[in-house]
Amino acid sequence: MSLESYRCDMEGCSRCSSCKWIPLAQIRSQRWSQVCPSVWHNDFHAYSGSGKLNVALSILDGRSDFDESAADIFYACTMCGGCDVGCKVYRNDIDLTDTFHEARARAVELGFARLEHLQLVENMRAENNVFGLPRDERADWAADTSLLDANSEQVDILFHVGCRFSYDESQRDDLLAAVEILRTTGKRVGTSGTAEACCGQRAYECGFDSELHNFGDDMVNRVRTSGASMVAVACSDCFGAFNYLYPRNGKDLGVPVRHISEIAAELAADGSLVGAFSTPNATAAARPRVVTYHDPCHLGRRGEDYAGEFDGPKIDRPDNTRRDGRGGRYDAPRDVLKSLPGVTFVEMQRVREFSWCCGAGGGCAEGSESFSIAVATERLEEALSTGADTLATSCPWCVTNFTSAREQMRADGDHREIEIIGISELAARQISGEVPVTITTTATTCEEAAT
Amino acid sequence: MSLATDLIGEPIGADALSDLRSAVGERWVRTDPHVLDSYAAQPFHKVEVGVWIHRPIAVVMPGDATEVAAVVKACNRHHLRFKAFSTGWGAHAGAGFDNVVQIDLRRMNRILELDIENRTIVVEPYVTCAQIQAEVMRHGLNLHIHGAGSNCSPLANATSHMGMGFSSISMGYSPRNLMGIEWILPTGELVQVGSFATGAGWVSPDGPGPSLRGAIRGFAGADGGIGVFTRVGLKLYPWSGPAEIEVSGGSFRGMQVEIPPLNGSFMCIFSNLEDYGDALYDIGYAGIGYAQFKAATGLGLAIGEPELFRRIRDEPGFREQVRAFENQFIVIIGGHTQEHFDYEVAVLGDIVSEHNGTMNSTDGLMATGRGGLWWAVIRNSIAPGMFRPTGNFYSSMGGDEAIANALRQATVGEELKEGFIAEGSCADDLVDNAHTLLYENGLYAHTEELVLYDHRDREQNRKLKGLSDTVMHSIVERTLGGGGFSFFAGAYAHEVLGPHMENYHLWQRRLKSALDPEDLSDSKYFINSEGVEAAGHG
Ligand code: SF4
Ligand code: SF4
Repeated sequence: MSLESYRCDMEGCSRCSSCKWIPLAQIRSQRWSQVCPSVWHNDFHAYSGSGKLNVALSILDGRSDFDESAADIFYACTMCGGCDVGCKVYRNDIDLTDTFHEARARAVELGFARLEHLQLVENMRAENNVFGLPRDERADWAADTSLLDANSEQVDILFHVGCRFSYDESQRDDLLAAVEILRTTGKRVGTSGTAEACCGQRAYECGFDSELHNFGDDMVNRVRTSGASMVAVACSDCFGAFNYLYPRNGKDLGVPVRHISEIAAELAADGSLVGAFSTPNATAAARPRVVTYHDPCHLGRRGEDYAGEFDGPKIDRPDNTRRDGRGGRYDAPRDVLKSLPGVTFVEMQRVREFSWCCGAGGGCAEGSESFSIAVATERLEEALSTGADTLATSCPWCVTNFTSAREQMRADGDHREIEIIGISELAARQISGEVPVTITTTATTCEEAAT
Repeated sequence: MSLATDLIGEPIGADALSDLRSAVGERWVRTDPHVLDSYAAQPFHKVEVGVWIHRPIAVVMPGDATEVAAVVKACNRHHLRFKAFSTGWGAHAGAGFDNVVQIDLRRMNRILELDIENRTIVVEPYVTCAQIQAEVMRHGLNLHIHGAGSNCSPLANATSHMGMGFSSISMGYSPRNLMGIEWILPTGELVQVGSFATGAGWVSPDGPGPSLRGAIRGFAGADGGIGVFTRVGLKLYPWSGPAEIEVSGGSFRGMQVEIPPLNGSFMCIFSNLEDYGDALYDIGYAGIGYAQFKAATGLGLAIGEPELFRRIRDEPGFREQVRAFENQFIVIIGGHTQEHFDYEVAVLGDIVSEHNGTMNSTDGLMATGRGGLWWAVIRNSIAPGMFRPTGNFYSSMGGDEAIANALRQATVGEELKEGFIAEGSCADDLVDNAHTLLYENGLYAHTEELVLYDHRDREQNRKLKGLSDTVMHSIVERTLGGGGFSFFAGAYAHEVLGPHMENYHLWQRRLKSALDPEDLSDSKYFINSEGVEAAGHG
């Protein structure tokens, strides 16, 4: 595809601004009615989904140049897809984020890539991970887990750990809890160890298509070698990559991809999730919590099953071949949370396909830190407004960004408390009576490790 | 004709830019071409070919009325036109000329007062109808949402545009709901209109003293041609439903909603237009109904069920069967008590059967799913769906007339549209019209001939101007009254229609000249001080 191939989408924008709001039928207050972090933060219309289409059309029509200032607009965006959902309530013929992706790819071609994004790609090329941490340390976390080596043994489930979970010690409990959940399935579970590499998603979203293709080919080979009948992930970015971006870009893993929340929900439904974390202390009462849930974009609206391209004019495109967000994974994590002892579940107003983004995506955590943190802070405010004391989510990138935002709030003198936690770890804590999954005394984030 | 690189004027001068920056702060002034062009892409409600309108010379974003006044004064000093913009949907919201400073009021997004007891709310320009409705429903109140839908600014609509909507039958049209206006004149002075100006609260829009409401907006509004409105009071109405509506299954198609007690939605179908019209008169006399409208059959299907619509359109047998349902309207009843609800349902039933019609609940109708249509009407979340079938539409024949004349307009509108469809000026939508939306107890019925087209189809886009002119002249030649939405043809339409409507255009020109001697408040869609040429039509 090319930027030109989206001209019809750009010209089709009626300027109705549905891409700025959660769907009109869902608005429950003024405070939580916006869906687009980019225009929320930058105000001028150019930053909205519609505005970015206008800017791209201006360039194609020769009215303006693709320069640094245009690139700034395209990069001031978390690629969260909220605009796509708002637009597709009404339109079948406009694909916003696909257009933005092509604009970013053009920015890379023309030499306007952000330095931080170039560094990210460099890290991936050198060490197979986005942080640039040593590739031979990728599987250190698994030393005591006795997971199978999927490079040499046949497994049922290939657990793709992902860059953040592999290196981020601060999220080790969530990762180990995910492993326990996988084990509870009774299947043979393995990883690719140090041979595992990044899924390529973060580079792709920054406009570096070839990374997705290269890392995608590697992933396809690893899955084949493992003999797995399922790929499991605990990271939503990886889920979105494998479930949507890979098939769209011709990478066929040949097996279904399941997120840990889907597997946990099945175990919760048949009563066996409890078995994953029962310990001698399990009789201790679960800590009462009021929990709200943040839908990660790439497990939700950006993680839908890829339904192929419609062969005809988009104006005639049926609902089921467009990416309108409704097919994301929304119920499974909620089912898990609602099944946990001690949990009172409350919803925020912006949920499911019209969720507010955590701010970490689209290269913003790397290249536009203050914007990224502002977006996460806005979500923390929404979580706090529900009366929740716990914000659960199912993506380590979201956890990281929310944690950074909370630290920033504390530094600014705001000491309202809300615990930010991954869904697997929360399951472990609630079921086991707060016995930690593992004792991690020197937890460091991968950003700290990389510096 | 607007080609891709037309309509780009000279950049703003350094002195003017510096003045604008002083008015609002540097962060809130943008002159980079990408940002400017995002305000120049407005393919909706314009008869010229293509996406682009004039590129503004600068976009400024004031934070309050004082800053708006400072911007307007800066424009006066530098002889620059200006155009205010709130939610900004359509060419009439953008620059009509070169050298226009676009005043984006997005930062002015506050709900300033909510007086539950006196049922009024005071808002700034960038508060939307959906936001207000969500906030006031929890207090048992609701607001009138105009036809453009709940994504739009009620301030912009009530001060500057038409303003009918589904709820007009019980809540009037937008200008009726104004409870006071704060207005920056084209010269930059701040004027307050209504009782709040004397500290008496937002209880009367017209006094003490002479009312300026008529002068400010006339019937159809000035579309930004007479200054900037920075604050309004709006009248609110009772709401008997719950504080929040639970929505599942989707946000439009497939939307599932439980219709709450005391609320119901009914489709009333008649075998001919005469019975249909008589029933509407009786509904008006009876003073019943919370919302009412007549959906265009083909268009309604195309928005909600596009695949089914295409099959029906292309199959002559189906087509005729569906057209047999044309004489229908939907009435939503919202009772304050069970007795009230039962009474209105019974009266509606009597009226419908007296005129040989049938009446059925719409719960579960079409793709909107259970209760979805009811909520889509109450929230008025339908309007952007008008773009689904072909990418664009135009509102042509129609206006605001007595029911009988509105039905004449609708009939002529269909006749014309049939020709337009045959010559390829617009898409085939089964021809049926959206008409006779009642307001003011049936005193008026609003009618629009909605024409579907795709501006990306340049051939079709080129024919739109002819279509618009044909409709406008037909209104005059066939003395159908009510210029209505032909005003979207721009200032030229006022010149054509004015002589047939008590020369309102001459009165408005006098007002415009007095208030805006330099014609700086962009009048592309209003009266200008000199006439058609200066309005830029052609
Ligand atoms: S919702 Fe879609 S059509 Fe409407 S302004 Fe946004 S991009 Fe354009
Ligand atoms: S992808 Fe997200 S941040 Fe970017 S324009 Fe769309 S809604 Fe806004």
